Amino acid sequence: MSALWQIFRIIIRDQRVALLRGAALGIVVLIMGVTLLGLSGWFITAASAAGLAGLGTVFDVFRPSAMVRFLALGRTAARYGERLLTHDATLRALETLRLRLLRSYLTAPLQRMQRIRGPQALNRLMADIDALDGVPLRLVLPFCSALVVQLMAAMALWFLVSPVIALWITIGWTAGAVLVFWPSLVMATPLSRQREAAAQAFRTRLIDLIGSRRDLAVYGRLADQVQAVTAAESRRLAIPLDRVDRATGLALSCLATLVGAGTLWLGLQAAQDGLLPPAFAALAFFAALALFETIAPLRRAASDLGRMAEAARRVRRDLARPDGKPVEQPATARDTSAAAGPALAIHDLRLMRQDGDALLIDGLGLDVAAGETVALTGTSGCGKSTILLSIAGLSPVAGGEIRVLGRDLSAWPEAALREVLTLLPQRSAIMAGTLRETLQLADPGQSDDMLWSVLKCVHLERLAQERGGLDTRLGHFGEGLSGGEARRLALARALLRRPHVLLLDEPTEGLDDETARAVLAGIRAFLPDAAILMASHRPVEKAQADRLILLD
Amino acid sequence: MAKDVNAERRRRASPLTDLMKPGQKNLRRAGLLSAVAAMLWPLQAWLVAEALGSLLTGKPISAAGVALGFAAIGLLRGLLHWQAEALAQRSADTVVADVRANIVRREARRSAESAIGGAGAIAALATEKLQMLVPYATRYLPAQIRVSTVPLLILMLAFWHSWAAGLILLISGPLIPVFMALVGMAAKEASARQMVEIGSINDALVERLSALLDIRLLGAGQTVEAGFAASAGDLRRRTMAVLSIAFLSSTVLELFAAIGVAMMAVYVGFTLLGTISFGTWGMGLSPAAGIFLLLLAPDFYQPLRDLASAWHDRASAAAVADEIAAWEADETTVMPGQGRRTAPLAGPASIRLSGCVSASGARLPEVSIAPGESVALVGPSGAGKTSALRLMAGLAVPAQGAVIVGDHCLTDETADAWRSRLGWMPQAPHFLNASIRHNLTLGRQGDLSAALTQAGVDAVVAGLPQGLSTRLGERGAGLSGGEARRLTLARAIFSKPDVVLADEPTADLDAETARIVADGLIAVAKRGATLVIATHDMTLARRMDRIIRIGDFGGIA
Repeated sequence: MSALWQIFRIIIRDQRVALLRGAALGIVVLIMGVTLLGLSGWFITAASAAGLAGLGTVFDVFRPSAMVRFLALGRTAARYGERLLTHDATLRALETLRLRLLRSYLTAPLQRMQRIRGPQALNRLMADIDALDGVPLRLVLPFCSALVVQLMAAMALWFLVSPVIALWITIGWTAGAVLVFWPSLVMATPLSRQREAAAQAFRTRLIDLIGSRRDLAVYGRLADQVQAVTAAESRRLAIPLDRVDRATGLALSCLATLVGAGTLWLGLQAAQDGLLPPAFAALAFFAALALFETIAPLRRAASDLGRMAEAARRVRRDLARPDGKPVEQPATARDTSAAAGPALAIHDLRLMRQDGDALLIDGLGLDVAAGETVALTGTSGCGKSTILLSIAGLSPVAGGEIRVLGRDLSAWPEAALREVLTLLPQRSAIMAGTLRETLQLADPGQSDDMLWSVLKCVHLERLAQERGGLDTRLGHFGEGLSGGEARRLALARALLRRPHVLLLDEPTEGLDDETARAVLAGIRAFLPDAAILMASHRPVEKAQADRLILLD
Repeated sequence: MAKDVNAERRRRASPLTDLMKPGQKNLRRAGLLSAVAAMLWPLQAWLVAEALGSLLTGKPISAAGVALGFAAIGLLRGLLHWQAEALAQRSADTVVADVRANIVRREARRSAESAIGGAGAIAALATEKLQMLVPYATRYLPAQIRVSTVPLLILMLAFWHSWAAGLILLISGPLIPVFMALVGMAAKEASARQMVEIGSINDALVERLSALLDIRLLGAGQTVEAGFAASAGDLRRRTMAVLSIAFLSSTVLELFAAIGVAMMAVYVGFTLLGTISFGTWGMGLSPAAGIFLLLLAPDFYQPLRDLASAWHDRASAAAVADEIAAWEADETTVMPGQGRRTAPLAGPASIRLSGCVSASGARLPEVSIAPGESVALVGPSGAGKTSALRLMAGLAVPAQGAVIVGDHCLTDETADAWRSRLGWMPQAPHFLNASIRHNLTLGRQGDLSAALTQAGVDAVVAGLPQGLSTRLGERGAGLSGGEARRLTLARAIFSKPDVVLADEPTADLDAETARIVADGLIAVAKRGATLVIATHDMTLARRMDRIIRIGDFGGIA
């Protein structure tokens, strides 16, 4: 529940003015509706009383009937304005929320980032945030306006009609609503949570099914996975949430009937006893019926509350992650000034294993000067990749010093660091889009000439020409490219950053020796002054390096 | 000409109607129940009007009796409505569940990607988009039936008391559907645009969320954010376009209704005051009849208002139905077999491709592989190496020709049994949202640690914080490419298969890992299994018994 409140605060902070206006209009709509019906009932009854008494010619027809027309048209206009305003404001606030969530994914610490699974994060960004539109639209705004209008109606009826009837109507509606909604909430909240969980399980399993269908088919698990997907769906259907919702609807309609019938009884009795003019008995009855409009919208909120609360909880959890720099910062960020010296200097570096109980690297020191190529070699798992990730500011450092362009790593803001330093990780993802879009991810707005020249450096020029130039479409996850081609495209993308320090994690894997040699030469030609540090296995890479550093 | 337009409209309307057909009967019953419930209101109104009329004329009435009668009918109305809702919900659930099951079944066995989009787009279609059929069934269809029944009854009641009152309703009523039809067309178009946006935003996001690290390292976070902001903004604008049409249509309706009710009030008011004396069949209007007419007027318009507020439900449902029709029309070839575990196919582990043309149109050479033989398929990219492997694995059917495994032709009946003899290494690893253990065993029995050791990945798994219980990203995030590849090798050799098919097993691997993977595969061949690999890596290819070239025989038909 606190998550819901927190999300609502984010929404209201984003769209305070529009939502307040929408709330005010919503109250106006309800007041006009209640007044309209009450006034019409009074008008007709009073008119026929005057007609019966032969006073038809002296009865003021025009003011009440003008009022009725004004209320009818005004209510329609206010309703239109209120809907547009609140929906637009809510959608805008959700858009902001979506962006904040995406940003928190983009800046998550490495370990968490590696665990983010596309389909689940997608659930968060789309389905969960969509579910939150109900927080202002169906929960908070209707609740507040219902409360305000009920109170105002109670006061008006107290003075216009009679205290007894005012109390019956107001207490009937408010206490009745509590009696209806309380058990409904208690029942529906866990059910809608379960239902949402089932829906998300269905979605995740379906995405798994489609993504892995060949593997699943070969290993005879396809039918089982279909079963698992279907099971999630049957579980969702078996949850009797809509039964609770319908029962709430039935209870509400009974409540409306009871309040109406009671008002009718009290009004007729009072009129027969001569305590109340018949026209005011009619007014009370019509107003009582019209007040249903304040309570009815809460039915949706009651059945959705569990789903909204759950979505809010998950979104808040993902938002709450620290979105600052992932590098564990030393206490002091000393000397931020650029000093002379090598482009990359490492002194006495110590790194922990990922599980964090043993040293992976102890006391590593190395320098890479501008224009120099250094290769890190050593057996698999000796920490080459981790060193590169640490230099890129993504993996925590247990001790020692990393200086980029003479400045301590911890003193670099992330954006500035990315401007001068680029890492090509061991695995990179190519996304759907044209070749141009893929490359421009690294450098938006870069000219076609530059894109062609970088493609040439990684020997993809011919492929691009054969396939249809920079407008060649690549499928999802780079479908249509072989592993080696995808590797070179990722490399081209990294080169376009034109960094001072380039970190390459096994840059030419998947390439034959001849292409690998040419690509390595191309990298150097494209970035003559960059300090290049590679993690390398292959002799062809080691041969191109100015210096080798053996880790063991 | 007019006929053409009508035919066109029928054709366009049909996907939604077709889609709802299984639930049609119950939906009609639900609509009739809700109509009966709505028709109880005139009874309640008559009670109230009589009571208020009696107050004015001084006729004695029992206040308690009137209130009880009002309450009893009201309760009955609530119960009928409740039944109608239950019935409509049930049939909507059935329809949606059927379509959903159909999507799952078909997507599971497709042998190529759907043209609709990737897994994200299909999942969006099967979940939130399909769900849009529910409000159409539970709100729009019952309202449609109420519209064609309830106003008629009220009109007759109004004419009974006063032809003038009836005329007011008769004239103001039919204007509404004309207007609604115009709005409906615009609404459907706007909904369709919104659907497209939802699908593409889902697809783009699922990919970007899998490439978070790359995006970050390229300093492209802000570019991606800006791109997402733009498409999220588009989605909002399109959603608002749909909503504002819906709001506009219901506003116009309310306006008509308000004008109608106001005219009725003026007529009834003036008649009761005695200023007007026409329109009542010359009988005059009693106070009770006047109040009755006024109570009825709003409910004459109510079904139309319900219909209008559900109008965009129909528009969305129609857009969804069109998309489902497009999805259904997109026939791709189907994998043979059910993907179930069965007893292995009897016979020798030999494979023969005879006159095969792949689904993509690549002509494959005659291939005949003996049991226990190890073979490399080599050739330029796109020549059909992967297609050939998929044919051998029974993951696709040839457009022409036949695949013969052992003594059997590979068909729907034999595919599952054949595949239970296979080990399979795909080009790109894909992991399920489950532990490494489950991803490797996939429910099969066997010695996992032996397979891990043979694939040279035991130390890697042991080094993970949660070992075999670790969950990996869907593309193996958390491991290096070579490690993920070696896991698929472990999976392939885990159940000691007779045949191992591997697609580019050493692509993107460093020399040492490539050697480990190659050794693992060759150990399988040494054990006597048939081994077929598609590869660019000539070092690996030369270690096989035989090399088969694919794609170099363009002239041979």
